[in-house]
Amino acid sequence: MNINGVFIEDTFAEAFPMRATRIIITGINYKWARHAAETMTGFATSVIGCKVEAGIERELGNHETPDGRPGIAVLLFSTDRKTLEAQLQARIGQCVLTCPTTAVFAGLVGEGQIALGKNLRYFGDGYQTSKKVGDHRYWRIPVMDGEFLCEETTGYQTAIGGGNLLVFARSLSQVLLACEAAIDAMSMLPNIILPFPGGGVRSGSKVGSKYKTLSASTNHPYCPTLKGLPDNVLDKNVEAVMEIVIDGLSIEDLNLAMRRGIEAICDLGKAQGIEKITGGNYGGKLGPHHFHLRKIMEGDKA
Amino acid sequence: MSITTIDYKGSGQHRLDMRWLQQAIEQKLSAKEVSKQRLHLGSEEVLIGDVFSINGSLSAVELSLTNSTTKLDYIGAGLATDKTLRIEGDCGHYMGQQLAGGRLICDGSALHYAGCNMQAGSIEIISDAGDYVGGSIAGNKRGMAGGRILIHGSSGDFTGDLMRRGLLMVAGDIGDHCGNRMIAGTITSMGSVGENAGSGMRRGTLLFPSKPASMATGINDCGRHSLGFLPLLMRDIRAPESAFQTLHPMRRRVQRYLGDASVDGQGEVLIWIG
Repeated sequence: MNINGVFIEDTFAEAFPMRATRIIITGINYKWARHAAETMTGFATSVIGCKVEAGIERELGNHETPDGRPGIAVLLFSTDRKTLEAQLQARIGQCVLTCPTTAVFAGLVGEGQIALGKNLRYFGDGYQTSKKVGDHRYWRIPVMDGEFLCEETTGYQTAIGGGNLLVFARSLSQVLLACEAAIDAMSMLPNIILPFPGGGVRSGSKVGSKYKTLSASTNHPYCPTLKGLPDNVLDKNVEAVMEIVIDGLSIEDLNLAMRRGIEAICDLGKAQGIEKITGGNYGGKLGPHHFHLRKIMEGDKA
Repeated sequence: MSITTIDYKGSGQHRLDMRWLQQAIEQKLSAKEVSKQRLHLGSEEVLIGDVFSINGSLSAVELSLTNSTTKLDYIGAGLATDKTLRIEGDCGHYMGQQLAGGRLICDGSALHYAGCNMQAGSIEIISDAGDYVGGSIAGNKRGMAGGRILIHGSSGDFTGDLMRRGLLMVAGDIGDHCGNRMIAGTITSMGSVGENAGSGMRRGTLLFPSKPASMATGINDCGRHSLGFLPLLMRDIRAPESAFQTLHPMRRRVQRYLGDASVDGQGEVLIWIG
C-alpha cells in the first residue's frame, strides 16, 4: 500500500492491556492548572521505567469542569490497578496539592474506583472536612492559599498502551516534520495521550537485551548509524526513524488516532522525504492487541 | 401510571398515627385487608376503613393522601425508595420520620420533627415546618442521616438538631438554635436565622444570606474566602424547583465562621458575600 508515495508496511503495531484513569485538574486560570498537569505528568513516559504513562488529554472550558474553572484533563495508564492508584496518589500529592489554586476531580466513571483524595486528606491533620454532594464525596484540605479540594475517588478502566507508528524519512528534519504533523492531528482526539516528550520517541526499543538485567534495549534494526549490519532493516536512503507511542482508552480510540496520524504523515508524502510507515511489531511478545496499519487505512477508505 | 388515593374522612378531633401505612405496604396488604385493620383514635379503636377510604393498590409507586390535617402524625414514616407520597393538606408531627428513600411532597405545613432521623429520599414542604426539622427524636444520637429536605416556607427552632448528613434547605426563615449539635451535612436558607446558630456544632455547613441573629460563642470568624466546593454544592441546592434557583451557580465568596470551639468542632457558618 502506498499513500501519496509513502509505503505503508503490511504489519501491525503491537499493544498491550493497561489500566487507565482520567482526572480533571482545575485552577484559577489555565496557567496554574497547566503547571499542575505538566508537573504531574512529568517522568511518565513509559511503564518500564516510570511505572505509569501519563499525559495531558486536553484543556477543558469553564463549563466542562465540576467547579466551573478552567481545567486540564489528564490521562494516566499503568499495568495494574494498584500501581495506577499508588502513582496517582503520589503525583497528586506532590504535584497538584502543592500547586497554587488547584483542585482535582474524577474524570472517569469506569469499571471500579481508585483513591484520589481518600488518603491525601490526612495531610489536613484533622482539619480536613468532607462534603458529599450527590453521590460524590469531596475532601477539603486547608492549605495556605485557602482550601485544596479533591474528590475522594476516581474511576479506572481497562485500556490499551503502546499503540505506535514508526516513520522512516530521508532526513532527521523531515521525519521530525512528519511526526509533528501526526502528533498535532492525534492530539486533537479525546481518550488518548502520547506519553513521550512532545509525543515523539527517538529511542524506540525492542524486547530484551544482550544484558540479562535489561528487559528492553535500543531497537538496533532501526538505528540509521548501524545501517549495513546484518539485522539492520533500513534502506540506504533512510537517515532517521521516529516513533509515536499512543495510549488510549479503547481499541477504537487507538484505531482512530493511528489513522489520523498516518493521514497527516502521508499528506506530506514522499515529496517531503517520507519513505515509509510501519508499526512496532515484536512478534507477539509484547501484547495481544494488534493494530494492522493497512486495515486501519482501508477502513478509512471504506 | 395509576395513583392510589388514600382519603382521610375522619373528624380530625384526635391525633392519629399513620405508621399503619408503611406497615401495610411492607406486608403487601390489599386495600380491603388494610381497611379491616384496627388503629387507635383517641380512646377508641376503629377500623382503618372507617377513617380512610383507599382507592387502588398500596403497591402503586405513587400514593396520594387527601384531606390531610395536622392531626395525622408519622405521615410517610419509613417510606421506601420506590414510593412517592403526595399529601394534600397539612401534616402532623414526625412527617417522614426515618424516611428510607421515598419521596414525600406536602402541599401544606408540617408540625415538629419533620424528616427526623430520615436516612435517604426527599421531603418537600410547600409551606412551613415546625421545630426539629431533620433532627432527632429524643434518645437518638443522630438526626437526619441522608437525603434532602426542602421547605418552601420557614422552619422552627432546632432545625437540623444532631443532623448527620444530607441537605436541608429552607427558602424562608429559620428559628433559633439552627444546626444545634450538628454532626455533618448542610443547612441552607434564603431568609433570616434566629439566635444561637451552630451551638455544639462539630462539623457540617450552615450557609446563609446574612449573619444569624446570634451565633454560639465558640464560633470564630475566619475571614472572607472563595471556597471551591460551593459551586459543587450549588448544583444540589439549585436542583429542585425553589427560590434557591435564583442563586448564581458559580457563587463561591463567603464570610466563614468556624466552630463550635466549645466542643472542638470544625463546623462552619458561611455567609454569602459579593
